[in-house]
Amino acid sequence: MIDIKILRDNANVVILGSHAEVIQSMLDYDFLAGKSKPSIVAIIASGRKQERYFWGETEVTIRVFANLELVPEVIKNGITAALNVQSARRILSSTMQAVELLPNLQVVDIFAEQTPESHSLELIKLAATKNVLIVGPASVGVLIPGFLKLGAIGGTRHPQISSADILEMGDTAVVSTSGGMVNELIHTVTGVGFGISFAMALGGDRFPITTPAQALQLAEADKHTKRIVYFGELGGSDEYEIAQLIDEGKITKELIVYIAGTVAELFEEPPQFGHAKALAQTKDESATAKKDALRKAGAIVANTFADVHKELAKRVIEKRVVREPKIGARKHSMIVSHISGEIDENVVLLGKDLMETVENNSIASLVLSLLLGEQVESKKAISFVDFVFKLLVDHGPYVSGALNTIVSARAGKDLVSSLTAGLMTIGPRFGGAINGAATEWVQAVKDGVSPQEFVEAFAKRGGIIPGIGHKKYTIDMPDPRVKALKTFAKNTNGDRYLQFALGVEAITTTKKTNLILNVDGTIAAVLLDILESEFNYDQQQLLELSEIEFFNALFVLSRSIGFTAHYLDQRRHDEGLLRLSPDDVRYIE
Amino acid sequence: MPRRKLSEYRAKTLVNKAIGEDYVGWSILDLDDIKKVDGYKSYVVKVDQAVKGRFKKGLVLLNVEHKDLKTSAKQLMNEGYSSLLIEPYVEHVDQSERYFALNHGRGGYTIAYSRNGGVNVEQNADSIEYFAIDDGFDWENLATITNIETDKLQALVKLFKENHFASLEINPYVADRRSLNILDVAVEIDDAGQYFTRLWNESDIRSPRKLSESEEQIHVLNDNSPASFSLSVLNPNGSIFLLLSGGGASIVIADEVYNQGLGDELANYGEYSGNPNTEETYIYTNELIKLIVDSKAPNKILFIGGAVANFTDIAKTFAGIIHALDDQAAVLKKQHLKVYVRRGGPNQEIGLAKIKQALEGHGILGGVYAPDVSISDALGFALKGLKDEEK
Repeated sequence: MIDIKILRDNANVVILGSHAEVIQSMLDYDFLAGKSKPSIVAIIASGRKQERYFWGETEVTIRVFANLELVPEVIKNGITAALNVQSARRILSSTMQAVELLPNLQVVDIFAEQTPESHSLELIKLAATKNVLIVGPASVGVLIPGFLKLGAIGGTRHPQISSADILEMGDTAVVSTSGGMVNELIHTVTGVGFGISFAMALGGDRFPITTPAQALQLAEADKHTKRIVYFGELGGSDEYEIAQLIDEGKITKELIVYIAGTVAELFEEPPQFGHAKALAQTKDESATAKKDALRKAGAIVANTFADVHKELAKRVIEKRVVREPKIGARKHSMIVSHISGEIDENVVLLGKDLMETVENNSIASLVLSLLLGEQVESKKAISFVDFVFKLLVDHGPYVSGALNTIVSARAGKDLVSSLTAGLMTIGPRFGGAINGAATEWVQAVKDGVSPQEFVEAFAKRGGIIPGIGHKKYTIDMPDPRVKALKTFAKNTNGDRYLQFALGVEAITTTKKTNLILNVDGTIAAVLLDILESEFNYDQQQLLELSEIEFFNALFVLSRSIGFTAHYLDQRRHDEGLLRLSPDDVRYIE
Repeated sequence: MPRRKLSEYRAKTLVNKAIGEDYVGWSILDLDDIKKVDGYKSYVVKVDQAVKGRFKKGLVLLNVEHKDLKTSAKQLMNEGYSSLLIEPYVEHVDQSERYFALNHGRGGYTIAYSRNGGVNVEQNADSIEYFAIDDGFDWENLATITNIETDKLQALVKLFKENHFASLEINPYVADRRSLNILDVAVEIDDAGQYFTRLWNESDIRSPRKLSESEEQIHVLNDNSPASFSLSVLNPNGSIFLLLSGGGASIVIADEVYNQGLGDELANYGEYSGNPNTEETYIYTNELIKLIVDSKAPNKILFIGGAVANFTDIAKTFAGIIHALDDQAAVLKKQHLKVYVRRGGPNQEIGLAKIKQALEGHGILGGVYAPDVSISDALGFALKGLKDEEK
C-alpha cells in the first residue's frame, strides 16, 4: 500500500483528459497554498499543444500531449499522481495505460460516473498487482492540504478555496463514499477548529477501487492523522471490514462515523438512492446493522449528522488560526508569445534586450533562434543555416514564384503584393520539398523502416518521394551544392537521417540515374541530424517541427530575398504589362 | 447508473441461446403483439417487470387458452403494468429443481449452486455451495455436480463477462444427463455497460413498478443529460417535499426526516448531481411543483438542500429552480407552502441571495441558510416550521 507521505514530498500531476474548471482550481490551490509552481506537469488531450491557466493573477501555460506516450521521459518519470477526467467509456483503457507508462505513479483519481462494474473489477486487480492507489470511480478527488488537490474536491472557485481552511495541514482525515459529503465533512471538521490531514472521496459505485477499509488504513499509517471521520452508506459490506480491522487492532485511531440510509427502512422495496451502491439487498447491508457493528467494535457512531459536529467539537482544545490568502482580479490575455514582448517599455527578444541580442547575433543565428523559439548557441547549426540561407536565395526567374512576382511587378503592383504573389506559389510542388522530405525521413527512421521498404511503399502508392530527383544532375554528374551540404553532416556526431536518405538514393538511382538525393532532401536530412545531435530534439519534436512547417520557413525566408530582388529589378527596368501572345497559348476547341 | 433488471423475455432468450437450447416466448408490450402468439394449446400470461412475489400478487395467470389471451393480458395491463410475457403452459411436475447463480465481485466470479432450487431456495440457504472461478478451475467437477455440461457452464460465464451482467440466476432448472430445462431466469445488468454490448439495450430493462408520470419525466431527463437525476414518489399526499442535490447529502437529509419520526410525511426522495444546467433544474423543479400541488396535505414544506458542492455551480443550478418557482408563483401561494434552502458551493453567495429574494417575493420563504448552518439544523428549522403551521 502506498504512503500519503510520498505525495506530500513529491506531487507531480498528469491530467488524463481535460477539464478546465477543475484544472484551474488545482492551480489556484497550489498558488494559494504557497507552492512555487503548479503541480500539474502535463495534460493528455487532443487538438492543442498547450492550455493557458492562471497562476495567481498572471498566466501560465501547461503542456498538452495527444497521448501519454508522447510525453518526454523526463516528465513521465517525475509524475506521481494522475487525475482521470475522461468519459466512463475510456476509464479502463486510459487508467491501465497510465499505470503502465508512468513508473513512479502512486495515485490515480477517477472522476467519471457510469464506469462499468467489470471495468472497476479489472482496475481493482491492477491496483493490487502494481501497488497503485486508484481512487474512484465517481470520485471528486483526493486532498492533501498544503501539498495536493487532485480533482474538484474542496471547490472549483478560488474564493471558496481561500476561505475553506484547506491550505494548511491538520490532523483529521476525512474519508467518504460521497463527493458532496466529503466537502461537507471538510467544512464540518474545519468549522469546529481542526485541520485536515487528508481527505478522500471514494465514490458511490458498487465496487469502489479503493475500499473504505483501505482508505482508513492509509489514515492509520499516516503519522499526521490523529482522528478519522468516515461517511458511509447502506449497501455493501465495507463497514464490517472496518469493524474487523478495529477488532484486530489494525485501526487504533479515533474513528467518528456516519452511515447514511436508515430511511430505507421505511420502504418494502426501497428506491435506488443516488449512488449505485446505496441499496441494501440483505439485512446486513442496512445502515442500522452496519452502525451497530461499528459501534460494537468501538467506533463513535453518529446518529444524526449534527452528532458528527458535536463529537468533533468536544475534542477541540484550541481552534487553529489559519491565514486566508486571496487571489485578485485576473483577465486572460488575448495571445501568448514565447518570442518577444515588452518589459518596462523595452523590446525583449527571447528573454534578452533587443540591443543586446542584436550585438551578439549574426543574421543566421538570430533567424535560427527566432524560428526555434530559443536562443541558439551551436556554431555548427548557425553556419549551416547561414550556408542554406545563401544557397536558397534565388534559382532564377524561371521558377513559378519568381515568375509570379515578375508578372505582378510588371502589372504595376507594389512590393508587398508582388512578393506575396510569389510566395503564394510555395507549396507541395514548388519549394515545399524540404519540409516534405523532413517529415518522411523522421517518420521512416522512427518506424524503423529500411530504405528498401520505404521506396517500395512509395512505389506502391505511385507517389513521388520528396527530396529525391533532379532534372539535370545524375549519380554520375553530382550536384555540387549537395556535395557542399554534406560536408556539414560529416562534422556532426550522428548522421542517421542523412544515412537513411543516402540509402534511399542508392535504391532510386538504380532505377533512374537522375533520382538522386537533391538539395531539398539533403538540407532536410542534415538539418534533422544537427537538431538531434546539437539540440537533443527527440523524434516527436522533430515531427512537430515539420508539422508546423519549420523546414519550409527557411525556404520562404531566404527566397523572399530573391523575389524582392526580382521585383526591384523589374521596376527599375520597367517594360510594362506582361501579356502572352496567341503563340504562347494553344487554344483547343 | 445502478444495476437494473433485464426483462424475463430477454434474459431467457439470451441464456438459452448461449447454451444452445430453444426458447419459446412472446414479449407483449402492446395488445397487438398477441397476434404473434401461436402454436400451443394453453399459455402462461405474466407480468414481465421487476416485481417481486408475482405469484402472491396474482400477476401470473396459468393455463390460459388461446382465445382468452387478450382478456388475460388486458387484466394485467389494467393493473398498471406495461410489459408482459406469454409462454407455452407446461404442467408443473414435482421434480428435482436446482438452483444456479453467477455473480462477480472483488474476488472474481463466483458460482452458487443448490440441489434444492425453486421459490424457497432462500430458506435452504445452507444447501447452497459456492465455487470461485480461479485459474485452473475444475469445470468437469462442477459439471458433474450441476448436471450442466462444461461447455455450457463456460458459455454462461462468457455471456456474463462480455455483456456486463451484474448477476445471473437460473432458478429453477431441471437437468439429468441427457437434457437441461431452464424454467426461470433472472438477470441484473450493469447499465453503465450498455455501450459495450449489443445483446441488450435500454428497451430490455424493466423497472420494478409502474413509474408515475413525474418519475417517468425525470427518468427521461436523466437519460438525456450528462448530469444525473432521480425521483421516487413515496407518499403522494405527503407534506415534506425534497429537492436535493448529491447522492450522499440526499440520503442524509431523508434520514434526518425519518430519524425525527416524520418518514410517513415524506412525499418524495430524489436528487440531482453532476452540475446540471439551468434548463434541467427548471424541468426538475417543475415536476416537483406538480407533486406539491397534487398533494392533499394541508400544510407543506419544500426543502431545497445539499452539501457544500465541489463543482456544481449553485448560482446556475438555482437559476433554473428560481425560474420554475417564478412561473408557478400564483399556484404555490395557495399551497400553504414554505420553502427552506440550505446549500453551499461555487457561487453560493449569488445563488442563495437570489433564491431568498424570489421566495420572499412570492410569500413562501421559510428560511435560506448557507453552510455555516449545518444540514441537520437547517432541516430542523424546516420541520419545526411545518409543525408550527399545523398548530
